[in-house]
Amino acid sequence: MRGKRLVVAATVAALFTTGLVVATAPAQAAGKINYCTAQNLTEAGGMDALVTAAKKEGTLNVITLASGWANYDEAIALFKKAFGIKIVNDNPDGSSAYELQTIKTAPDAKQPDVVDIGATHLGAESSDTLGRSLFTPYKVATWNDITPTWKDTNGLWYGDYQGTINIAYDSSVTPAPTKISDLSNPAYKGMVALGGDPSAATESFMSVFAASIAKGGSVDDIKPGIEFFRSMKQSGNFVTVPATGANLATGAFKIALSWSFNGPGFIQAAKGIGKDLKYVTPKDVVLKGSPYIQAINAKAPHCAAARLWEEFLYSENKGKFSKDLTPADIKQSGSKVFALIMGGQNIFNSGAAHPITEAAMIKKGTLIAPPAGFEIPAGVKVYSPTLDQQIPQQAVVKTMWPSVIQ
Amino acid sequence: MINSYGSSKGVSRKGGTFARRNLIIALPLIPLIAYLAFFFFWPMVMVVTDSLKNNDHHWSFINFTTITHKPYSTAFKNSILLGALSALFASIPGAIFAYIIEVRGSEKLKGFVTSLSGVLANTGGVPLAFMFIATFGAQGSAIKILKALGIDLYSGGFTLFSFTGIVFVYLYFQIPLMVIIFSPALHSIRNEWRDAAKNLGATPRKFWRTIGVPLLFPSFTASFLLLFASGFAAYATARAMTVGNIALVPLVIGTLVDGNVQVDQANVGKSLAVGMVIVSALAMIPYLIIQRRARRWQQ
Repeated sequence: MRGKRLVVAATVAALFTTGLVVATAPAQAAGKINYCTAQNLTEAGGMDALVTAAKKEGTLNVITLASGWANYDEAIALFKKAFGIKIVNDNPDGSSAYELQTIKTAPDAKQPDVVDIGATHLGAESSDTLGRSLFTPYKVATWNDITPTWKDTNGLWYGDYQGTINIAYDSSVTPAPTKISDLSNPAYKGMVALGGDPSAATESFMSVFAASIAKGGSVDDIKPGIEFFRSMKQSGNFVTVPATGANLATGAFKIALSWSFNGPGFIQAAKGIGKDLKYVTPKDVVLKGSPYIQAINAKAPHCAAARLWEEFLYSENKGKFSKDLTPADIKQSGSKVFALIMGGQNIFNSGAAHPITEAAMIKKGTLIAPPAGFEIPAGVKVYSPTLDQQIPQQAVVKTMWPSVIQ
Repeated sequence: MINSYGSSKGVSRKGGTFARRNLIIALPLIPLIAYLAFFFFWPMVMVVTDSLKNNDHHWSFINFTTITHKPYSTAFKNSILLGALSALFASIPGAIFAYIIEVRGSEKLKGFVTSLSGVLANTGGVPLAFMFIATFGAQGSAIKILKALGIDLYSGGFTLFSFTGIVFVYLYFQIPLMVIIFSPALHSIRNEWRDAAKNLGATPRKFWRTIGVPLLFPSFTASFLLLFASGFAAYATARAMTVGNIALVPLVIGTLVDGNVQVDQANVGKSLAVGMVIVSALAMIPYLIIQRRARRWQQ
């Protein structure tokens, strides 16, 4: 009896003390915010405080952000210029597997602050286990605009942008292809390629998926796509050379299926080797892939910079690109600079990716126009297989692909 | 030998010098040992232990059961065949070429061929694939020239992006490699023996059948096995030429460890790596036995 009363007394005392701490928290906030546990902008002390803290850290570690991919080049340049924060990009051409491996094994100083990983990696282990052990929760200011199916309710991870499978072609090709089902046209003999191995690269896997839907398959059946490539291999249309810039230069292929967000970068690179590359959104089937996933590393060495980067990537601002940013702009307070610059969601859009908050942005009228050739034509059905639909089809590709096109 | 320091003291000091000298000799080896430990033994231990774990990190033999089935068994079949065929097609012409240069060539030519072979044998990876795609790809320059001369290889069924095509590309580095490793063995045929055989009435044919070939056979086999290992394990060239249409073990490992599509298969990849180590070891054991035997003969 006595013991129980003591417990009650202690609990009351504890609650009271906690109450006091909570009550005094805002007063302490300016001086002592733990950015590593801040789960939203308010907990991070507002935009001015977050920018100041991130500037003090001075560096942001990103990982595998490939040049030419979803206009990350501009996102990096703008963030650097606007906030004066150095960005270290580890292994730009690395894979999502490399990102996860780095988080699991790299020493503290080499840890990335933020990751951008393929959604299939979330399906591999249960997303909960993966998120809880590797990531730390944070909900950006535009959290409610992120498609509900593509975010963890606790804020451990969140989709950032999606690509569509587009047709890339050398402008010398006649007739110019407009549909995926057209690729078997005898005029395209020795011209059609994929980016890589569909059992390894998501882009190629989704390309075969898109071809399947174009040829009578569905989001639950990839076989017609594999058969389509088999028939194109037999007719000589499909060349089994990876659709890289070097192979485009030699003329080893002239038409490829490609992620839309690789398009602007690839077009630029092709220009450098004297090739006029064009992109077109297919008129028969538009396949929108699963989004890439953003998350803050639980072991992030720069907690404030990581959170500022996420706020920046999910900002829906229609603002200035890095080339338009003047020294006078940068001198303003953190929140003013943030409000002035182009938001990450629009930067993705300028890189021919579909930002995850696209629907909300269209409603608000804040979405900028995508680059020419990447608009989705009116009236074309957009397919987007879920991870649960993709996984059994991955197994089909894995077993069928090598023998079918050998 | 006279010891000026007196016997007992002298011996002990001499022993110390000996140990120190050994230590000094061993010192330069330390970086090498550290290098081997970090980049060979440590990864090897990791690969072997991971290959023996399932996805829940429990000890299991399941990965090794998996790789005995398709498509992994096909990959092993293809890789072994690629190693063997590229070795076969490189070793015979390579050996003949080495013989002609070694026996008939001038010193200047020998030097030239040796350094050229050194360069060619080390050309590999993506640049090699690019070279061949640019010349023998469907739109390649050599293919276009042949077409202008009325020979259309691609309509005749040839394609660079096939198993045959990869064997063809591998010959580019395999033949010079054969020249480099086989040339020294040719010194074992001494001119005196040839003259002796001739004086005793042997025809050149008989000389080769009874003396030349038996003498060179161990070195030839050893060289063949080295070429096999080189073709069996090559990665980047094949990767730059295919999109998963030819299952080769190194490519499949890359897919499993680094791919975005099948993402829970990394440990299967590691068991494939162990499988490759075993195949390479099996190929190297006869190599070592034969090499030892060859050295005895050549002395």
